[in-house]
Amino acid sequence: MSINIGYFISEAAISFKRNWVMTFGGIATIFLSLLLMGSALLINSMVADMTRDIESRINIQIWIHDDATDADIDTLQTELTAHENVATVELVSKEEALARFERMTEGSPEIVEQLAGNPLPRSLEIELVDTQEIDGVLTLIRDSEEFERIGIPGESPDAALSYGGSIVETLLDATNTARFVGALFVGILALVSLIFINNTIRLAIYARRNELSIMRLVGASNGFIRAPFILEGILQAFVGALLAILVLLGVKEFVFPNLQQALAFIDFDFSNALMLQISLTLVGTGVVIGILGAVIAMRRYLKI
Amino acid sequence: MTDLESKLDQIVPEPQFSPRANRGPLMISVKNVSKRYVANKAALQNINVEVAAGEFVFIVGHSGSGKSTFIRMLLREVVPSSGQIIVAGHDLSRLKNSKIPYLRRNIGCVFQDFKLLPNKTAFENVAFALQVIGKSKHVINTQVPEVLRLVGLEGKIHNYPHELSGGEQQRVSVARAFVNRPPLLLCDEPTGNLDPQTSLGIMKLLERINRTGTTTLIATHDQEMVNYMRQRVIALDEGHLVRDQDRGVYGSVD
Repeated sequence: MSINIGYFISEAAISFKRNWVMTFGGIATIFLSLLLMGSALLINSMVADMTRDIESRINIQIWIHDDATDADIDTLQTELTAHENVATVELVSKEEALARFERMTEGSPEIVEQLAGNPLPRSLEIELVDTQEIDGVLTLIRDSEEFERIGIPGESPDAALSYGGSIVETLLDATNTARFVGALFVGILALVSLIFINNTIRLAIYARRNELSIMRLVGASNGFIRAPFILEGILQAFVGALLAILVLLGVKEFVFPNLQQALAFIDFDFSNALMLQISLTLVGTGVVIGILGAVIAMRRYLKI
Repeated sequence: MTDLESKLDQIVPEPQFSPRANRGPLMISVKNVSKRYVANKAALQNINVEVAAGEFVFIVGHSGSGKSTFIRMLLREVVPSSGQIIVAGHDLSRLKNSKIPYLRRNIGCVFQDFKLLPNKTAFENVAFALQVIGKSKHVINTQVPEVLRLVGLEGKIHNYPHELSGGEQQRVSVARAFVNRPPLLLCDEPTGNLDPQTSLGIMKLLERINRTGTTTLIATHDQEMVNYMRQRVIALDEGHLVRDQDRGVYGSVD
């Protein structure tokens, strides 16, 4: 049997023209759901970049009160340096702390001028080997007697300790919530586009019921009868996916350079490889929705 | 003049009959077949019919006697509630859904309402039947004009259905049923919408096709036509087979 691809394409195109309002609805919903999904994927990758970036900068600082003895500081420093997850331990002197503060407030030197003497404490700055395993080092510090003696006393034992952990946790929490809400929206829109495509195909089947009954009578194979409808579903989904990809590429071209400038400290990955990956995901998802919509419509309305 | 036409014209016009014992291989075998649509009322009840290859058979009966159900069962559009049907070598009760199209390629169908596509010409309507079973352009371009000439429409190949008379439309529909040279032709009230003169033309056409060896089954309540043709008659009444007679007439003879 010679496969007449031209026949299928022209059938799908005719139906596309005939039911353009429904077709438009199908394309629009699939476009919206895929656009949302693409944005979610992009934001996801941005957040991943961000957390990775922030995590890599996590270090631990121990604030030392001015009466602490050098012996205690030395002991703690040695103890920490011995830990396998500690890369470096650096003692920041009061002078160095003030110098850093001056650099931070460069724009308004009057702040430093108003300080009486040097109120800034000394500190131990600990760089970690693996920021994921920060807990071991924290436990070591909290359990150490020297830490109790040299740390600035406060309401909680951790008052003299600061690290980036809480920032990362907050960030991850927010990301997870956003991801859930995003997935919910994508799911709902995917369902709506499924219903739209299902409806378009149903109309197409109805419009061609006479032809279909003759095709069945003269013995057209089931695959031959189904192919134009499947193709129509795919075509709709494909156009919707293409539009979504175009919009995402536009956003990437015109919005992200500004964003990158505003958040210069984070190194975002907007490479073509990432965009290609997202585009393929969108086309794949769209085509699956299109085929599914067509198959459901045919099961219900095409008795073959 | 094509091969087919010359062959047709060589055949003696007088229909031949042979005693039942000498009939050829079976085209249709229906054994103990019943069909119920709703719980109690049977559309067909315990029908037994055999039709040999090459026969010309009328199925007669009033509306609702089960003629259409019988025809549709042979097409496997309707599945019997019980019993066995074999058509052109296919056991319909064991036929998978995906194989139904291949059964139907062996059966030509003609209906009362012609079932032509209004937006296609006579040529395109006939070509459509070949197109959708995957025949090549070359086959279509040779077979379609030939079969349209056979049914007497050589001058109206490119007319649309609305430009043709009822009889001409039915000829297109016969051409479409026959273009694939099926061994079996089923007609459900083929003359139901036509005047007697036109009906006779269609019947003669069907008879000509039958004489090429195509087994022909015609469900009809066209009394005049059945009496005129003097062919085998199977009569159905309220789902029962009440008469099966060679050279029969519409009404009961005994």
